[in-house]
Amino acid sequence: MYGGGVRALEGVSTEVEEGEVRAFLGPNGAGKTTLMRILTTQLRPTGGDAWVKGFHVVRDSSKVRELIGYVPQEFSVWSDLTGYENMLIYAKLYGVPRDRRRRLIEEMLEFMGLEEAAGRLVKTYSGGMIRRLELAIALMTRPEVLFLDEPTIGLDPRARALVWERLLEYKRGYGTTIVFNTHYMDEAERYAEKVTVLNRGRVVAEGSPRELVKQVGGGDVVRVWVDDDLGAALKTLSGLPGVEVVARGNPLALRVENADAAVALVARRLAEAGMKVGEISVRRPTLEDVFIKITGMSFEEAERASYREAARARRAIVKGG
Amino acid sequence: MVASRALAFIELELRRLYHDPTEVFTRAVQPALWIGVFGTVMNRFRIIPTGGVDYLSYITPGVLMQSTSFIAIAYGIMLVWERESGILKKVLTAPVSRFLIVLGRSLAGATRALSQLFVVLLIALPLGAHLSLNPASLALAVLAVFVGSMGLTAFSILLASFMKTRERFMGVIQAVTMPLFFASNAIYPVELMPPIIREFSLVNPLTYVIQALREALLYSDYLGSLASLSVVALYSLAFLAAAALSLRRIIE
Repeated sequence: MYGGGVRALEGVSTEVEEGEVRAFLGPNGAGKTTLMRILTTQLRPTGGDAWVKGFHVVRDSSKVRELIGYVPQEFSVWSDLTGYENMLIYAKLYGVPRDRRRRLIEEMLEFMGLEEAAGRLVKTYSGGMIRRLELAIALMTRPEVLFLDEPTIGLDPRARALVWERLLEYKRGYGTTIVFNTHYMDEAERYAEKVTVLNRGRVVAEGSPRELVKQVGGGDVVRVWVDDDLGAALKTLSGLPGVEVVARGNPLALRVENADAAVALVARRLAEAGMKVGEISVRRPTLEDVFIKITGMSFEEAERASYREAARARRAIVKGG
Repeated sequence: MVASRALAFIELELRRLYHDPTEVFTRAVQPALWIGVFGTVMNRFRIIPTGGVDYLSYITPGVLMQSTSFIAIAYGIMLVWERESGILKKVLTAPVSRFLIVLGRSLAGATRALSQLFVVLLIALPLGAHLSLNPASLALAVLAVFVGSMGLTAFSILLASFMKTRERFMGVIQAVTMPLFFASNAIYPVELMPPIIREFSLVNPLTYVIQALREALLYSDYLGSLASLSVVALYSLAFLAAAALSLRRIIE
């Protein structure tokens, strides 16, 4: 897949491997949703090209629609129908053959743990159940590429974990390529094989979560509280291989390649020099550090804005339902 | 066949009505007033020349159209709401063309509207409306209501594609429906209207639906009814095409 120069996006160019789990990470207005809506043939890009499995999203849009599954950020089920009925209507809309319809629907409902709730109106469902129903609908057609826009927004941690557990289980069986947008750092870090960080419509970083943290985060930081002569401790520690002193106060801050190895080394050297050590702590940079460093903004702000959006979508559902 | 996927939207509407049939009853109040109060009172005065037909019978097709067309024209609000939720986005990524989506939703709106045909008949007949209810008349009446409502639903989707909020949509709907109703032959013959309104009533699709209904239910003029019906069909096709073209606007 490739996207080029589009209104809310500028010069976004990336390629997702078959069977990959790819996260697009970025604050509000970064262009994640616009990108996904182009890739799912909802919007026509004003410029540039994008392909899904070799099919152009504008010229071959009907072919693309047959290959993809999609779950938008907002709720995409009719709350005045039952879960089963929602699946039935979508199955007919997607042209699932009549002889396989019932079996497929029941199989997916069971897979998502919804078989008991299937006969209830969706307005009685919890947020996590609605998401799992939407995933069941999206996966019922056995898509080759699954697009998820903020798949776990507004869900509690247990519901989030369940959604991902089911998704990955499905992927193990069918090898589906999964592309998802998220503003949850930990979600991108834990579930994505590769992360594309978007900011203001541009790709600002791309790589596996580990690579990104290594590239941009700049290694682990070990902090040492010394109950002794600071100068002597400094002298002992400077010149150690793979250790760079970055703060000379108490605690001392050391930037190291690998914190696990460095902690042992630092503790041993200080002990050998007969120094008293109060405490040693390790801090590993996360994707969050990467994000702040790249975009120059706190992710919390972005998260709050996204949350407001989700809350609005939720209210709309309640009002309409 | 891909085209049959559009029928899923009819099923959606029927299942919704099954779960919550309140609309069928709340929508019965207005036609009951028009026929039961306005119709019976005017029937007694005989001040509107209706060409030999009693006024109660004369007004029934008009009320029928009013009742069904209001449902069809209001249907677009569903799409305004579905845009706020994610349903429309999801539907647009399904392997179904934009035209089939509009067609399917319009058929769904017409299905919902059609329920009123039976409600109005159930009100009008006991009150003494003289309607011809042989199979041919009934079939033509169902067809007129269905095709007309389908077009008006498409018109409603067209309006919805311009309106970003439900409040604005409701405002526009109110401004559109009453003029369409009064500038039609629903409650009086067009010959009685001031010239300007008469001209307007001749391009008002409601006029032709009502004419088709009267020709079928009052005069048993099946050919005439079919002719009026074909005018309605042309309108409906035009609205469908326009709505399909503007559907893209609704999500941007």
